[in-house]
Amino acid sequence: MIRPRTTLLVAVLFLVIAVVYYLLSRDASGATLFVALALGMGLLTYTLVLGAPRD
Amino acid sequence: MTANTTALAPVADGGEGMREVAALAEEHSRGGISNPVLGMILFIASEIMFFGGLFAAYFSVRSQSPVWPPPGSVHFDLRADIMIPATLTAVLITSSVTCQLAIWAIRRGDRTAMLRALAVTLALGTLFLAGQLYDYSQLGFGVNDGPFGSTFYTLTGFHGAHVFAGVVMLAVILYRGMAGQFSAKHHDAVEATSLYWHFVDVVWICLFTTLYLLV
Amino acid sequence: MATTVLTPTASRARSGLYDWLTTTDHKKIGILYLGNSMLFFLIGGLLALGVRGELAQPGLQYMNESTYNQLFTMHGSVMLFLFVIPMLAGFGNYVVPLMIGAPDMAFPRINALSFWMLPLAGTIMILGFFLGGTAAEGWTSYSPIAQSKYSPGVGTDLWIVGLILIGTSSILGAINFLVTIFKMRAPGMTMFRLPILVWTILVTSMLVVLGTPVLTSALIMLFIDRNYGGSFFDPANGGNAVLWQNVFWFYSHPAVYIMVLPAMGIVSEILPVFSRKPLFGYKAFIFATAAIGALGFSVWAHHMFTTGSVYLPFFSFMTFLIAVPTGVKMFNWIATMWGGKIQFSSAMLFAVGFLTMFLIGGINGAFSASVPVDFAIHDTYWIVAHIHYVLFGGSVFAVFAGVYYWFPKMFGVKLSETLGKIQFVIMFVGFNLTFFPMHELGLMGMPRRIADYSPTAGWNDMNVAATVGSILIGASVLPFLWNVFISLRSGERVGDDPWEANTLEWATTSPPPPYNFDRLPEIRSERPLFDQRHGLAGRGVGH
Repeated sequence: MIRPRTTLLVAVLFLVIAVVYYLLSRDASGATLFVALALGMGLLTYTLVLGAPRD
Repeated sequence: MTANTTALAPVADGGEGMREVAALAEEHSRGGISNPVLGMILFIASEIMFFGGLFAAYFSVRSQSPVWPPPGSVHFDLRADIMIPATLTAVLITSSVTCQLAIWAIRRGDRTAMLRALAVTLALGTLFLAGQLYDYSQLGFGVNDGPFGSTFYTLTGFHGAHVFAGVVMLAVILYRGMAGQFSAKHHDAVEATSLYWHFVDVVWICLFTTLYLLV
Repeated sequence: MATTVLTPTASRARSGLYDWLTTTDHKKIGILYLGNSMLFFLIGGLLALGVRGELAQPGLQYMNESTYNQLFTMHGSVMLFLFVIPMLAGFGNYVVPLMIGAPDMAFPRINALSFWMLPLAGTIMILGFFLGGTAAEGWTSYSPIAQSKYSPGVGTDLWIVGLILIGTSSILGAINFLVTIFKMRAPGMTMFRLPILVWTILVTSMLVVLGTPVLTSALIMLFIDRNYGGSFFDPANGGNAVLWQNVFWFYSHPAVYIMVLPAMGIVSEILPVFSRKPLFGYKAFIFATAAIGALGFSVWAHHMFTTGSVYLPFFSFMTFLIAVPTGVKMFNWIATMWGGKIQFSSAMLFAVGFLTMFLIGGINGAFSASVPVDFAIHDTYWIVAHIHYVLFGGSVFAVFAGVYYWFPKMFGVKLSETLGKIQFVIMFVGFNLTFFPMHELGLMGMPRRIADYSPTAGWNDMNVAATVGSILIGASVLPFLWNVFISLRSGERVGDDPWEANTLEWATTSPPPPYNFDRLPEIRSERPLFDQRHGLAGRGVGH
């Protein structure tokens, strides 16, 4: 399986989307939700990959 | 970039949080993270999104208002009376430290030290709630005072509700600890509760920064 | 492979009402989910018949606008939140632990809690009918119409409370699925040997955990607006109506993937079995599912193009993009069937029905991704056509496919194939008769959510056709209900594996013992049962 740290790329991806989105749209609510998503999805994927037994 | 700066703050704590999570996994080698702890972390992920929705509302409403706080009663300037919330911040951060001390204690099998640390954490958490309620009574505006009041009370109110839930969880594990139920090998409920408590603290730091410190 | 056949002597005494009310067994809970969801399907269907009855002819024949608004609002809310999502969760509950070789879900008591919140929530929402009126502003509940000034009365508040309960139930269930799938797989069941249904439930659960809480926050803010003088969404008080739409759709768009991904998973299990061929492109399915999940979070504002407050290029681009992994899946399903020895069982008919109808729904949805087109068809019957082709032609057909497929495993008896085919034909014809004309109605400009329309608009004939179709759909449910009734009483008994299928749930008795497995076959690929039948020499794709 993949290394747990690799999953943090997901968080980075959504952070990038958040920044790009805000720069283009100046929409505060959407940008905040993308940032929250980056944190939530990062935590979720990191923990699941880290916490699963080695196959 | 006001919309993003504060929301990035928890990543700094999140780094420490990630190391916490990794430490949990190492302990269980082949088995990974235990089911209850894993479940709690996933629940915390959902709570991040819940507060995300509330923060999104705040930033949206704020970015649309030409002046923030909106002109009105002088009490709308939260920074004029920042001592209480600042104290509450210190209380909560300290409680996170004591909570972590409890965790380290039980991981080494020292139940007595864990109980002491948990009791202090519980007391500090209760103090936070009392302080928050006192602060509410001094503020001079309500939830029905426009978007400012609505967002302020909803954000801090739901945070307070989460602190309350955390206090209940702490009380439960304190009781179970006193009944002798935890050991170095078996203390999932303590790990789960402390993760939740740290999360509640991180949310407060974001709240405090956003509501009181952001220009 | 000889598996101990257990005659449930001990359990018979306990299989009474008390057992069902207090069970924490994922199989019983799964059946409870399915039964409860079916009940709400019938309720939602009756509401739809009310809507179609009124719309058949211009003029208000049977009700006033207020009642009509309640009907379509509750039809949508009940179908989405009390039927589709829990029905798919019910399949997941029953099948996932079996498919991964686990004895139960990770948190059995929370599993039971998740279920029991649903009948409670449904009752609360529907109570509105008896307390002065239910919510009536559409399942999307936009402000300012959702504010207390324009929707006084408790209906909307009951709707909010019911939905918060349903959301909580979903989130707890999703956490349960994630921990179960990651932590409780049998030895040899690696992540890349999981059945596709398990993968779709996995991604769906991530969407639920990350998306549903945002809806909860929106609902709470609306409740505060309505009951405590809040100013989140009411422009009159300095609030922002578009803010509701943003927070609402941030959940409700991923919600549609929550409603369709498990359905795709069900179809992905059924097609290989009845084509006698392995699923084509197993890994591609996984990556497509993950891509849909991730992209699904970045398209929400395509529901809001006409508000004037949306950064159009971003959302239009992302919406077109999401058609790509969906298309990959479509090609893979067709490739699975291509050259196979197709057996048209009832389950297969519904699965193929899914493919064709979801394809139409996907194509007509792609039209809306284009901003200029959307400006013309937004809030018209084109959208009603789209949502029903993907949700009914898609999810509902997949649900019935799943019912015909797993009924024998759950109850030890097959459903009648004859009645199944009768249901399929009537439902398929009725469904298309109801919703295909709505494409034209939308292009002709008929708006959604109107109780009445002008007799000279030229919409009369198509509305009559749609109503006739809806009656056929209603009629098609009757052979299905009769089928369930007589099959449970005296249906054809089956053994472990009546379909000669591939996955682990067929490696135990029908129904399984409480602890699921006496013995597990060796797991060396994503088709462990196939491997066992062909003595490992016929190993599946194998990872």
